Amino acid sequence: MEYVLLIYGNESAMLNAPKDATAQTIAAYRAYTEALKKAGVHRASNRLRPTSDATTVRAPGGKQSVLNGPFAETKEQLAGFYLIDVPDLDAALTWAKRCPGAAHGSIEVRPVWTA
Amino acid sequence: MQVLLLMYQDEKAIQKLPREEFGRIHGAFVAYVDALKKAGVLLANQGLGPTAKARTVREATVLDGPFAETKEQLAGYFLLDVPDMEAALAWAKRHPTLAHGAVEVRPVWT
Repeated sequence: MEYVLLIYGNESAMLNAPKDATAQTIAAYRAYTEALKKAGVHRASNRLRPTSDATTVRAPGGKQSVLNGPFAETKEQLAGFYLIDVPDLDAALTWAKRCPGAAHGSIEVRPVWTA
Repeated sequence: MQVLLLMYQDEKAIQKLPREEFGRIHGAFVAYVDALKKAGVLLANQGLGPTAKARTVREATVLDGPFAETKEQLAGYFLLDVPDMEAALAWAKRHPTLAHGAVEVRPVWT
């Protein structure tokens, strides 16, 4: 089954972290990605630019509007995701707990839609 | 550049739509995916299951549900490879989700 691990964290805290802490986080993510690949469960992953680089398009009543910023202001922001292929939800949750982002943010685990 | 189009919509409203409207939306998605593929810009796309099936992990704690309660929920994403943000926005403006929600365009970190 395919699951998406959505990484939510406080992006301003991340962006303002000292250089060593940022390097440590990047190394932890690199090791985590490597572990997923070795286990043969990694399908895709992406880190996203901060929400200050986001643009949101809406079309209420057919009238389009394009606004700077993310779709909603939240305390934590979507920072990236992993797409993994694992036998079941338990396996997905085990991987989510090992994700470096779980230490200072939230990892939302969502099954991929299958028709 | 690579960009992610994040689809947000009110999942309860979508689930309550009449069958024909659902079929029409499905058709619009098929056509949109086809157009992206023809243009050679589609790298990946996934629809997500409802947030009722979500779990959220924080440190070692697992909670039922999504990370935050929002009026609209993340329903899926499209990963595109386009020349610039302008091209990304042009595709976002054609996105079928706009009939029922919002599309957030986020560049991928390089």
